[in-house]
Order: sequence, then structure tokens, then C-alpha cells
Amino acid sequence: MTENTLNFSNDPVDPAGLPDFYEATLYPVDDHWLPYALISRLWFFLAALLVVTLGPATGWIDYAMWTFWVALGLVGLLIWTTVVTWMDARFRGWALREHDLIYRAGVVWRRTVILPFARIQHVETTSGPLERLFGLTRLKCFTAGGMSADLSVLGLDQETAEQVREYLLEQIRDDEADTDGNRPATPAATLDGDPSE
Amino acid sequence: MSQEETHDWQQLAPLALLFLVLAGIQKFIRENLFLILGAGAGAAFLDWMGLRELLLGGIGVLLIILIVALIYHRRFRFCMVDDAILVRSGLIHRKELRVRFARVQNVQLGQPFYFRPFDLVRFSLETPGAAQKEVELPGIRRELAETLRDRISGLRDARPASLDGEGEPAPAQAQAQADGANSAGALMYRASPGALFRYGMASNQLWVLLGFMGYLLSNLFQRFSETLEDLTLVESLIGTLGSGWMLGILGVGLLMVFLLGLSGLIAVVRFHDFTLIDRQERIVARAGLLETKEQTLRREKITGLTFRQTPLGRLWGSWFIKLRQTGNAEQELAGQKHQLIVPGLRWSERDLAGRILDGWSLPEGFDRIHRRFLAFYWSRGLLIALIPIASARWLSFVPEFVAWAGGGLLMVATGAVALRYRNWGLASDGRMLWVRSGLLGRSVDIVELAGVQQVRLVQNWYQRRHQLADLELVMPQGSVVVPFLPAEKARGMANLAVFAAETASIHRV
Repeated sequence: MTENTLNFSNDPVDPAGLPDFYEATLYPVDDHWLPYALISRLWFFLAALLVVTLGPATGWIDYAMWTFWVALGLVGLLIWTTVVTWMDARFRGWALREHDLIYRAGVVWRRTVILPFARIQHVETTSGPLERLFGLTRLKCFTAGGMSADLSVLGLDQETAEQVREYLLEQIRDDEADTDGNRPATPAATLDGDPSE
Repeated sequence: MSQEETHDWQQLAPLALLFLVLAGIQKFIRENLFLILGAGAGAAFLDWMGLRELLLGGIGVLLIILIVALIYHRRFRFCMVDDAILVRSGLIHRKELRVRFARVQNVQLGQPFYFRPFDLVRFSLETPGAAQKEVELPGIRRELAETLRDRISGLRDARPASLDGEGEPAPAQAQAQADGANSAGALMYRASPGALFRYGMASNQLWVLLGFMGYLLSNLFQRFSETLEDLTLVESLIGTLGSGWMLGILGVGLLMVFLLGLSGLIAVVRFHDFTLIDRQERIVARAGLLETKEQTLRREKITGLTFRQTPLGRLWGSWFIKLRQTGNAEQELAGQKHQLIVPGLRWSERDLAGRILDGWSLPEGFDRIHRRFLAFYWSRGLLIALIPIASARWLSFVPEFVAWAGGGLLMVATGAVALRYRNWGLASDGRMLWVRSGLLGRSVDIVELAGVQQVRLVQNWYQRRHQLADLELVMPQGSVVVPFLPAEKARGMANLAVFAAETASIHRV
């Protein structure tokens, strides 16, 4: 029997007694997220419109017989994009618990991500020109698992993003300081407001 | 070997120059192979250039490689301080690298055949964040390399409180560690030549060889087709065998037998005398005929284990184990992973997983995923594919045989969905998660829930309606996905994984 075996324990854990991430109340994204998302996605629609309108003029696309269907397709695409973006804005949300960050997004494929603070290596906030125009900031959490394990929380207003970043950095520091792995249960209430409001 | 000696700045042995030159040539060929062979253009270029110019060009390239290797060799210095290894290198820019032993997850010693008479080895080590080997010391004395290896492991085993804050190890533990570091260790597994040959025949290397050989043969055939037409050899062979089809089948058959044998032999050479040794906190793997390699892994740095069988491996019951370690972004993109392969296993030897890491043994049974996996892919998935095929045929966009071929592919896809469903399975004891998957081959991913980096729950419209969800656990070495679980179960697993990660005392990265 190796030393590993001697030190090994495997006590059962009652799954029913664990905190359920599903019960966490999520903060919605900022109100400016919807117009920002609509405009950013509209670029793709405009590009498609450009191809459709300029295509026949340049001579490398000819769909004279299909004009109605192409127009219908474009209108359909526009409606679809608008509806999906609107639904996404309503559904998208985030929450902080004592030990992890929860982020939910998506319409067709709804994705809920839980990122334990103990796994965060560093945090940064970034914003593109369009995001800055709407006062939005994205929060990026980097982990040891590479690109696929990093998490970007979109749709936060700048102040909240900074607060969350500071809070997360505080948690990471606590985690590093507490060598026993029992981090203090810092309340997530450093942020103003109640998510359920 | 004294501590003072390892603390001094040291140079590589003169013979390391040969290694650097050979590595340079290998790199040049690998990076320019597509230029030489690419789409026949290389052959045409060679015809146009002539043999003399080709030789001159080759000598020029060789000279450049030699000069680069000489400068690199001359400027390369390394030494070991109390808790780190320092390396100075660089051709134009001087680079000084310091790697803390605490970050090392993997130490490798390699001995190419031309190093053996001089008892030199190639020493390298990996850290979780590096894209490739963080430090490589080609051509240092074996004694020095072993001292480095043992000091890295030894210091890590008995690291002081100031490094990790875990306090001094208990006397019994320290004694065990010391025993482990000094002893040769217990043999866990040794692969026979037959097992290695079977592994080689079933490994993915076969398909690489097949692709390369197919390309080479088609190029050769193209180049010499005119000559072949003049000869009556092919015609007489066709006449003897009755038809060209038979010749074709015979040719492909012979090629496959040749490639299977070649792939098997490559594995026998590469993994010659493979042994896996248990040294308490570490696992040591040794193998290789032309280059004897020794790889040392810290047990606590193993983040996952995959028990795998390729489609061909299923024919002759050959399995292998991949011991996984933390990868990084670059390697994810290149499709490479930090891993150690244990080749040539039988199913009856599956308990090796549990001997490598306690509690990681394969479970007796697996729970299936939900049957609606079949219903979803058979109805929605295949319907989405069927509609364009039927529409295209109805509008006469495609000829009839294309529609039939599309239909045939859909039939194959139907079978593939059923096979995927049969192979999906999961088991968990609250601490570990075992996920079985595969299409024609099979693999069982074993992960410790405490190592999870991120948990994802994904639901599409269909899954939401039927209370189902896909569970994805992002681990340091990559993701493990279980599709179509009952939503309640997926949530329970997610909560368990998050709980395990948040209460873990050791972070396996």
C-alpha cells in the first residue's frame, strides 16, 4: 500500500445539500446592452445588404429571378437578428456568490457558466469604441485552463465592471493569503442594489 | 555532484553541437517539406534547377544551420540556484530565463544513440504555461542531469513553508519522500514488444503514414506514368489477375499491410522497453531504442487521465493511457497537449489507472445519457440535412445520383448517431467523474472534480422543453462534455463540481 493510499479518503458528499447555482438571482445586463448589441450585429446585416445590392451591379451575382426571395430573406434575417438580440438582452445576466461568478447568455443555446474564484488568475476590464459610446465595459477573467477556460462577462456598465473587478481581485488575494484553502466568506454585497429589483 | 558545481554557470558538451545541427536540419525539413513535395511544384522546381545547384543549395543551408548552432552552443549557459534553474541563451538577443522548480510539472531525460558512448543526455522540463519545453539542455553529463532532476524533485518534495505555505512535511512523509527519491521505485507496468506492435498498428500514426504514402505514390505514379505506359508490365499484370479492380484491391491491401507493419515497427522503436515506475510522489516512464527517454511526472500535476482505444485497436483489443497535464492556449490551437502515453494495454490491465492515481480506477458501470439524444439527432439533425437534399433534387439543381449519395450519407449518419449514443456514458463517486465516449473507437476520460476550472451548462430549445442539458467541465487540460443529461442531474453534477473546486486544497496546475 503506497503512502498515497494511506492518506487517501473519500467521504461521501450529499449532492442535495449543496448550494444550487440555479437559485442565485442574476443581475441583468445594462440597459444600453440592447442598442449596443443591435448596432454591432447590424453591421453584418449591412454587409449582407451591400453584397445583395452591389452584387448584380458588378455583374458577379445575377439573381433577377429571385429578387423577391432575396429581399424576403434579408427582411427575415433582420427580424430574426432583432428578435434574438432582444431575447438575449432579457436573458443575459450575471451573479456573484461567495465563491464564484455566474454568467448566463444565449438564446438558441442557453449557456450558464460558473467560474470559481479559486480558478481566476487575473482579471481585466476592456471596452471597444462602440462599447465606450454606450458606457459599457466587458470583464475578462483569465484562468489556468487556457483560452477555452477564460470567461468574458459582457454588458456591464463601467462602474459596475470596475467594482466587480476589484471584488474579484480581492477574492483572489484572499485565496492566496489563506493557505489552508478555507477562504473567508466575503459577502457579495459590495455592489449596490439587489439583483431582484 | 557537489552543490557548488551545479551553482556554477555551465556550458553544453561539445557533442551537443551535433544534436543542435541535427535538430536544425530536422526543423528545416519539417518546415519546408511542403515546398519540396507540395503539389508537384517542388519536383518541377528540382527538374528545372538541376542536381549541381541543388547540392550547392543544400550545402549552403547546412552551413547556415551549422553557424547558427555554433553561435547558440557558444552562448548557451545554465546553472541551478536554490529554488530555480537559470538559462542564458540567444543568437542576436540575449535571453535569461529563470524557472522556479515549484512551477515544473514534467522533467524529461533523453539519450539519442550518438550520446550513449559519451554518457550524455538531453535534459528538458515543462511548466504549465509554456508553449513548448521551457528549458532544454541538450548534451549534458548524465550525472549532472540526474542531479538536476533529483534536486528539482527533492526540493519540490520537501519544499519549505515559505514557498507554498503548507508547513514542513510530517517526519513520516518526509522519510517516505526521501525513500522515494532515493529508491529505484516499484515497477507498475512494462510493455512487451508484441503489445507495442499492436499499439503501433492501431495508432493514429498509421493514418499519417497512409496520407504521406498516398501522396508520394500518386506523385510518383504521375511522374512515371509515361514510362509505365511504355512497359507491358502493368498490362500483363492486369491480364494475369483478370481485371484492373483486382489489381487495385491487391495493391491497396499490400499497401495497408506494409503500413500497418511499418506503424507497428515505429511504435516498437519509439516505445522500446517501455516501463512505468512508481516513485511515491512521482511517476517515471522510460522508453526508446534510438533515443532512450525518461519522463518524470509529479502525481499532483496530473490533471486528467484518458483510457483510449482507436477503431483499429478495437479489432485486436489494444488500449493506451494518456496522462494529461495543464496545456496552454498555443497548444490548444496546434492540437497538441501536455501528455504522457502509456501504450499497449489490454482491457484486463485497466486497474493501472487506479495505481497511477488513487481513486481513479475505472468504474464497474456507466449511466447512459438520455435517449432523447437519438430522437433529437435523428429527427431535427437529419431532417435539417434531408430538406436541402430533397429540395435541391426537386428543383433539379443536382443530378439524381448526387441526391442518392446524399441519402446514403444520411443513412450512415443515422447509424453514427446510434453508435455515439451507445458509447456515451458517465459515472461519478462525488470526487471523480468518468466519461465514456466514442464513435468507432472508445475513450474514457477520468477527471477529478476538484480540478475543474469552469462549469458550463448548455441547453437548446429542444433540451429546455424536455428538461435536458449538456454539461461541460473545463479542466486545465481541456474540456470534458456530457450531452443530454436530465437537467436535474446536470445541475447536481455542476453543483458538485463547483463545490469540489471551491473546497480543494490542492490546485493541480
